[in-house]
Amino acid sequence: MSGTPCIAALNAAAEAEGIKIGETIADARAKAESLQVRAADPAADDAALRRLALWATRYTPAASPWDEKNGADGFFLDVTGASHLFGGEEKLLADLGERLARFGLPARGAAAETAGAAWALARFHVSPVILAAGQESEALSRLPIEALRLSPETRRTLRRLGFRRIGALIDQPRAPFAARFERELLLRIDQALGRAPEPLAFIVSPPLYHSLRYLMEPVAAQEAVVAIARRLMQDIVHALVRDGVGARTLRLALYRVDGGVRSVDIGLTRPTRSVPHVARLIELKLERMGETIDAGFGFETLGLAVTTAERMEGGQTELMAGLEEAGEQPDERCAELIDGLTQRLGPRSVQRLAPLASHLPERAEAAFIATDEVPAWPAPNESQPRPLLLFARAEPAEVTALVPEGPPRRFRWRGVTHGIAKAQGPERIAGEWWHEGASPPTRDYYLVEDEAGHRFWLYREGLYGRETASPRWFVHGLFA
Amino acid sequence: MPSPPAAVLGQNRARRAAIVDELRRRLPRMESAAAATRALPFGLATLDAHLPQGGLTVGALHEIAPQTPADTPAAFGFLAALLARFVPPSRPLLLVATSRAFADHGRPHGHGLSRLGFDPARLILVETKAEKQALWAMEEALRSAVPAAVAGMIARLDLKSSQRLHLAAGAAGLPLVLLRPAQAGEASAAATRWRVGAAEAARDRFGLITRAGWKVTLERCRNGRPGEWLVEFDHAAYRFSLAAPLADPALSRHPGLFGRRAG
Repeated sequence: MSGTPCIAALNAAAEAEGIKIGETIADARAKAESLQVRAADPAADDAALRRLALWATRYTPAASPWDEKNGADGFFLDVTGASHLFGGEEKLLADLGERLARFGLPARGAAAETAGAAWALARFHVSPVILAAGQESEALSRLPIEALRLSPETRRTLRRLGFRRIGALIDQPRAPFAARFERELLLRIDQALGRAPEPLAFIVSPPLYHSLRYLMEPVAAQEAVVAIARRLMQDIVHALVRDGVGARTLRLALYRVDGGVRSVDIGLTRPTRSVPHVARLIELKLERMGETIDAGFGFETLGLAVTTAERMEGGQTELMAGLEEAGEQPDERCAELIDGLTQRLGPRSVQRLAPLASHLPERAEAAFIATDEVPAWPAPNESQPRPLLLFARAEPAEVTALVPEGPPRRFRWRGVTHGIAKAQGPERIAGEWWHEGASPPTRDYYLVEDEAGHRFWLYREGLYGRETASPRWFVHGLFA
Repeated sequence: MPSPPAAVLGQNRARRAAIVDELRRRLPRMESAAAATRALPFGLATLDAHLPQGGLTVGALHEIAPQTPADTPAAFGFLAALLARFVPPSRPLLLVATSRAFADHGRPHGHGLSRLGFDPARLILVETKAEKQALWAMEEALRSAVPAAVAGMIARLDLKSSQRLHLAAGAAGLPLVLLRPAQAGEASAAATRWRVGAAEAARDRFGLITRAGWKVTLERCRNGRPGEWLVEFDHAAYRFSLAAPLADPALSRHPGLFGRRAG
């Protein structure tokens, strides 16, 4: 078989012709002359399945696309605590099937207490079925052993040994099986019957707190989205208050009518339970995202999840919106301002400055993303003048000096020549040779004042005679 | 507010109507008194005398422009020294500018700011792509009433935007100080407009700079008088001072500068 192209998947029409998965293309063509063949693209299949699983988080955030062992053609949903929103598991399953059919995806579904049982029933039961707890053993007994998600070798061996139905395996003594087969067989039986846990890899880690809204009419307007997000946050606040935590990161998932999912991530400087604050941040973020969000024909479902929660000092609940202003601390309001500006302007737009231990002026401080933490600055060292404005990159200047190692007399920078009235310096700053890579040459800094009183920070790069024969000059900063 | 004496109230109805009118006249002023009419003096008597409340109105828009484009660092220095004086010191100071402005003029350097009495720990830098966003960010910051003062580097500002910002500053009771380009001359709602040029710095006997010097002109001032001064900033005491007229060699180079000082 190796090297011969085989059928990996087929549609209903091909199935009707009697073609089966695993047949060579030559055999299949013999059955149906008009057969059309496309090369299989497992990567694209996987991506499509993940997209679909993401869409399915509109039912519950715990969605797990099937991996290779599960056939890679479906997904698990953990509907614990979610089915009541639809009026029961039957209705949820019916709704799911209907929507998938609308996307052009005929699907089979089943609900059971265990992932293994649900998988088996979805594959091998004729009609959609909801299995009550405790009936796994009985329901599975009648299904073929293929319903156990076993490897092909195990399946073949079992067939050879005469096992056809799962029921024949369930009641057998375990010891001979454990000796004869890999752990796989007993594990799969135990998982299907709920005797062993089956960890699922969820497409997004299920959040601690989340809330969903299904809309009768899809919405596309930003105000409508923000208004619904506000209500979703109100739903979540109660649980946050109960647990004494606040949200640090949130994700608003927007489910489009056509199955696409857009998500809006919000990060906060400090944990919050404030509904207006979260609503405002979402509004600002949406404004920034603007056109890229593309509502298509509208969003029919919105979900808000707290993806990171952090302990919050008790007391302040923002349930009573009117009292909010009075109760808040200045630090908290500062954090809210920073959050608001960041959401609207972009992640690196709001910064604070912190001092660093370095002789090189460009490394003597760092801009970091603003939080409510305030850096501590040392008192200025009066013997080392530092400019008010520093260029990110020192700009080259043409300098005339009487002697190569002497102070500058005149310089040309940005197309203007400045005659120097007074020069103060040099302040010698050696390159940080202990850092990786080639160490920069020594710099001699001069604070110069031109005839009009403008003050500049110039430096000569390289020691004349020792490091270089023709030192270069730069303007690094400007003094007030 | 002094309450009208009881005897006056007891007199005839005409007098009473007059008192009610007087109260009506005073009331709005009292309501906005706390926030909008606070003023921050420079601590320089000759300069403060030109300003309507003996200082810079806190809840208002102020503009600072350099005399020539090359004077921008001087104007920014004046702005930074001014901004650092707004209290309380526990509150941050916001500086909003476009990436373009930072590339043109350089980025504020913490070790340099601290020499102008501006604690860099108070600084929150807001960098925007476009000026429209910068205007929004300043208004947002004013509305939040979180910072002690808000500053911005804004090249283009129409009258409507300046009115909007001035109102936001007034409502929040916070100062908004804008650094404008040298050529800016549009109509603006700003309470004051300053023009700042570099002047020779004061030096000690070793030739080291002790005080940065600025030629400061108050070009426009609502309810005040324009004026012109040679202002220095004392790096040791962190305060403004007027250049000593006779000891300063800058004076000989700028004759007539102090002619209008009595003004």
